[in-house]
Amino acid sequence: MKILHCPLNGPRNISEFVCGGEVVEMPEAGAATDGEWADYVFGHENARGAVREWWFHVPTAYWFIAERDTGTDEILRTYPASEVFGRRPP
Amino acid sequence: MAEPGAYARRSFVYRELAACGARFRGAGGAAVAVDFGDPEGERRSLARLGLCDLSPLPRIGFRGPAALDWLRAKRVRGLDRDNRADIQRSGALAVRLAPTEALVLGNPAGRGNLCDRLEAALDENPEPGCYKAMRRDGSFHFLLAGAHAADAMATLCGVDLRPLAFPAGSVAQTSVARISTIVIAVALGEVPAFHLLGDSASASYAWSVLVDAMTEFDGVPVGLDAVRHAIGANAGRSAG
Amino acid sequence: MTGEYRLPPAPGERIDRSRTVRFTFEGGEFEGFAGDTIASALAANGVSTLSRSFKYRRRRGILALSDRDANTLVQLPGEPNVPAAVREIEDGMEVLGQNYTGSLERDRGAWIGRFSRFLPVGFYYKAFYRPSGAWQRWEPVFRARAGLGSVDPAAVPGRFDKKYGFYDAVVVGGGPAGLAAAATAAGAGAEVLLVDDQPAPGGSLTYARFGVDRASQEEELRALVAAVEAAPNVEIMTGAVCEGRFADNWLSIVRGRRLHKVRAKTTIVATGAVEQPIVFRGNDLPGTMLPSAAQRLIRHYGVRPGNRAVVATAGRDGYAAALDLLEGGVEVAAVVDLRQHPDPSPEAAAVAERGIGVVAGHTPSEARRRGRAGRVGAVRVSPILDRGRLGKGGETISCDLLCMSAGTMPAAQIACHAGARLVYDRTLSGLRIDRVPDGMFVAGAANGRHGLGPTIADGRRAGRAAAQALGLDPGEAPAAPDDSGRLRNHAWPIFAHPKGKEFVDFDEDLAVRDLTDAVHEGYDDIELTKRYSTVGMGPSQGRYSATNALRVAAAAAGRSLDEAGATTVRPPVSGEKLGVLAGRGLEPVRLTPMHHRHVEAGARTMVAGDWLRPAFYGPEADRDRLVEEEAAHVRSAVGLIDVSTLGGIEIRGPDAAAFLDRMYTFAYRRQPVGRLRYVLMCDAAGTIIDDGVACRLGDGHFYVTATTGGADRVHREMLWHNAQWRLDVDIANVTAAWCGVNIAGPRSRETLARIAPEVDLSTEAFPYLGVREGLVADIPARLLRVGFVGELGYEIHVPAGFGEALWDRLMEAGAADGIRPFGVEAQRLLRLEKGHIIVGQDTDGLTTPMEADMEWAVRRSKPFFVGGRALDVHDRHPATRKLAGFVLSDADAAAPEECCLIIRDGEIAGRVTSAMRSPHLGRVVGLAFLPPGDAEPGKRFEIRRPDGETVSAEVAPLPFYDPGNARQEG
Repeated sequence: MKILHCPLNGPRNISEFVCGGEVVEMPEAGAATDGEWADYVFGHENARGAVREWWFHVPTAYWFIAERDTGTDEILRTYPASEVFGRRPP
Repeated sequence: MAEPGAYARRSFVYRELAACGARFRGAGGAAVAVDFGDPEGERRSLARLGLCDLSPLPRIGFRGPAALDWLRAKRVRGLDRDNRADIQRSGALAVRLAPTEALVLGNPAGRGNLCDRLEAALDENPEPGCYKAMRRDGSFHFLLAGAHAADAMATLCGVDLRPLAFPAGSVAQTSVARISTIVIAVALGEVPAFHLLGDSASASYAWSVLVDAMTEFDGVPVGLDAVRHAIGANAGRSAG
Repeated sequence: MTGEYRLPPAPGERIDRSRTVRFTFEGGEFEGFAGDTIASALAANGVSTLSRSFKYRRRRGILALSDRDANTLVQLPGEPNVPAAVREIEDGMEVLGQNYTGSLERDRGAWIGRFSRFLPVGFYYKAFYRPSGAWQRWEPVFRARAGLGSVDPAAVPGRFDKKYGFYDAVVVGGGPAGLAAAATAAGAGAEVLLVDDQPAPGGSLTYARFGVDRASQEEELRALVAAVEAAPNVEIMTGAVCEGRFADNWLSIVRGRRLHKVRAKTTIVATGAVEQPIVFRGNDLPGTMLPSAAQRLIRHYGVRPGNRAVVATAGRDGYAAALDLLEGGVEVAAVVDLRQHPDPSPEAAAVAERGIGVVAGHTPSEARRRGRAGRVGAVRVSPILDRGRLGKGGETISCDLLCMSAGTMPAAQIACHAGARLVYDRTLSGLRIDRVPDGMFVAGAANGRHGLGPTIADGRRAGRAAAQALGLDPGEAPAAPDDSGRLRNHAWPIFAHPKGKEFVDFDEDLAVRDLTDAVHEGYDDIELTKRYSTVGMGPSQGRYSATNALRVAAAAAGRSLDEAGATTVRPPVSGEKLGVLAGRGLEPVRLTPMHHRHVEAGARTMVAGDWLRPAFYGPEADRDRLVEEEAAHVRSAVGLIDVSTLGGIEIRGPDAAAFLDRMYTFAYRRQPVGRLRYVLMCDAAGTIIDDGVACRLGDGHFYVTATTGGADRVHREMLWHNAQWRLDVDIANVTAAWCGVNIAGPRSRETLARIAPEVDLSTEAFPYLGVREGLVADIPARLLRVGFVGELGYEIHVPAGFGEALWDRLMEAGAADGIRPFGVEAQRLLRLEKGHIIVGQDTDGLTTPMEADMEWAVRRSKPFFVGGRALDVHDRHPATRKLAGFVLSDADAAAPEECCLIIRDGEIAGRVTSAMRSPHLGRVVGLAFLPPGDAEPGKRFEIRRPDGETVSAEVAPLPFYDPGNARQEG
């Protein structure tokens, strides 16, 4: 059982969490072509190496971001989503 | 003595309590199991391992970006760290769950009523960014107390809840028997205990699982009087 | 009789001679002592065949007498594959051998052994490949023979559970190294768990012999155990097997019926070493065992392992074992030493002193059985010329006990689970643990140490290292540890015989040739050899075969041993019961506050997500009638249904309306306070994922419902989106905090009016799609005028603590109106008559709002909503299907099951999503996905039932009931 460090709750068994997939920037809906949009929805990089992922701590309903090396399954860093998404949309 | 059915508000597990021979008394608009016919024995059990249903008693949550500041303005103490519980002068417990969420548990010994006071204050003067959370309805509230409480919890919960690792005042929002639960460590005088709050719809399940986990240590359901006795016998310390 | 092989009492034995235990084996009655295992009690009675082998049905007895012996799994009533070597006997226990037909002694299936040359390696892969159909014919025959033991489906599982534990250091193995490591780490202040699979700690110190004189080792054992027992910060867990090590030092430890899930900051592996057999013809005969097994019988159980022994060895251990056998009353006929020039040792000298002949440079080349009993009766001893080649000469020695060992390999499982590898070390002529990861320390025999002093010193070293890794101060380091004790194995203890039956793997009956054949057939990588030949895949998991299998496979493949490598080791270390993995079977169940009222009213409950809901009220046999009656009652009078399982989400804050606009397809900014509006949620692909209603309770306050199974997902999606959007809203899942009922039917207003006097229920004051807050039966409530079932109705939501009282008061108030509870089945029928979809039943993982004919709920003019951009893409592609209503043409036809196919010109054209008999129309109505061109009212199509029959249906306009909505809006 891996340990994941939740920014709110500290180290916990990874069974308390749900992975929400890679952090991907949403393209501007109005400007993106159909192909770009489809790629955003369905195309996943699935790269080897350090990847930013969404993780959800179920007991506190808390989303945060983890950087994980997909090659070694080592979790490099976790931090609140506000570090990446700090601005309100227009 | 009172019957749970005589009140509009009912504990989520009043049938389970009645099946164990609970004797009820009215408190805060609901029937509370005060004992199971053996008050002396329950006090002794509580020191070893006992489970008490506090669900009918007052508790309330506050959410939103302004929640903590509003509570501070109402002179609620503590709230300076996530997952931390602080005892108030009234014996109530204030718990910061997140930078935008707090929880207040009334004192089971029943002195003062901080929860009702705070709720009335917010209803009267709504505060932008501070919202009520109906913890009394959304969560069951059990107290697992006794020297073996951490042992019993270890069969249900993957967080280290032993006293040295999880002293009084510690809070874990975690999974207990596969349901999301808030675990709050307190000391009833010398007796270590955990407040357990989880999904009220899962109350019957949680109660049965906890009762089952207690059997290894001869733990039994105990009434509110046993809890009050443990608090009262050490009132000075528990209010500290 | 407790056995003619029982020795006089001696210190250190594990049996209680004051308590006789009676049990049966193969129907025969036996006696043992409390503390005896099945195997030791039988050995005390001279029984040497415990089971039959898996493939050739050969007799098998004790090999190692430890955790996973190769062939001593036995059958208990309701419990197969019980390791006879470790399970203690109990009064009345009924034990049977395994893998035989008829009886263990006269196995009618044993003929197969004579056909071994027709059962080559890979037999099953090859034999039935052709002709086609051969496997189908032979499979039942082989299935009956395959597998281990038999399961009693009626057996009642016991209580299993799990417990979490947390330690600074977990020491796996309580032998001399483990005890020393635990005491050292604890001395530095670490909280230590010491795990040992035996009933008492001590490991090899309790049975093996270190040196000529055992007195000093007994003193050492007492001191080591005392030091650990005296340390308050050491917890000793005996009778427990550490089955696996997983990510982040997570150890699974099984003790009886409990699985301990232990998080260790550091792990010390002191699991010892496993003796490796010598490979020669007949090396599996009962009475042939590892020296440690004979020593365990003597020291732990007071059992004389035989009458006359030959000890075959390649090191000083064998001489020590010979001394033990002498002490255990066994005549030692000879010590056969595989080495040409044995090192002198005190043990060897003592053996010589006692007049025992030593045959150096020889090996057992064939063990022969005596008579029908099958036990070894004599051993042929031949000179070794060079690697695996035997010379002429030698002698035949009669014996009924043959102890054999060519050396040891580390018990490396736990280290390997953590990422360490077993590598072949030329200087040791054996396997060694390499690449041990951080936080793990290997000590003692597992670390290749040999002899008591070096083993204990190595344990202390590991304990110090663990303490240092924990940031503790272990004090001053002792003088340089004694590194002299390194075990050397015999490099090639494999002696193929022209007639075979020299077993490398006892579990799987694999002889030398099976492995060489596998390699020659092309399976020449050790992992492939393993899978093809199944070497190392049986119950003992390669403990007794790994070293020799590696030697044989590497030689056959022409590889050097260090290139060949060992196979990957995976958990569990021994067998785990499924019950242990299942634990208590914790399955959360959610109940609504009114649940018990439903049960009291005779409801049949159904599972909906995590919830139990009333399906209908009354006996199962009357299901169809009851569902129709409940539905008809809603249409004609008034019904009450528990809707507490609906998700509830409070959206509060200045951006609440803007947030809903982005989350849902409809528009909410201009929704008036006091009104509710349908919500439809799509995912980023434009697929419908949930629906419900949004009640505007204030400018910045919406109360949104979600489907029963969808609430958690909807809540999670909302939080995820807002973690990016960062709108000023609070999103709270209040599903359990609020419960609710729907009171529906033409008389619902009268009933409700009796207990909600302060709420104006008139159509003018409280119209359809209105939402009000007020008191119902003095309970603070939210009232929603919704029309899911198509009648005048009110959803009444109250705080969960009041739910049962609300139900009671409504039932009382409605008595005069004939109120009747209705269940989920009736509600499904009522909504189907109104043509409302159920997300997840009438939609699937691809359904768009356009396909579901719900474009009315999509506000395409909004700047953004989740899924909106994808719907634009869908617009540019032709639709492939459409959800449409249908009626069956034949009024008497029964409803087709959901998912029945719609067939056109022999091709699949669509499928039914819902179908029920409508009492209102007197025929079956339903919803189905159809090709867009066929979804027009009046079009006919065929539905194929599971029995192959087809029924005709016709597309009908929706809704089927009250198209003008006069009833629900009245």
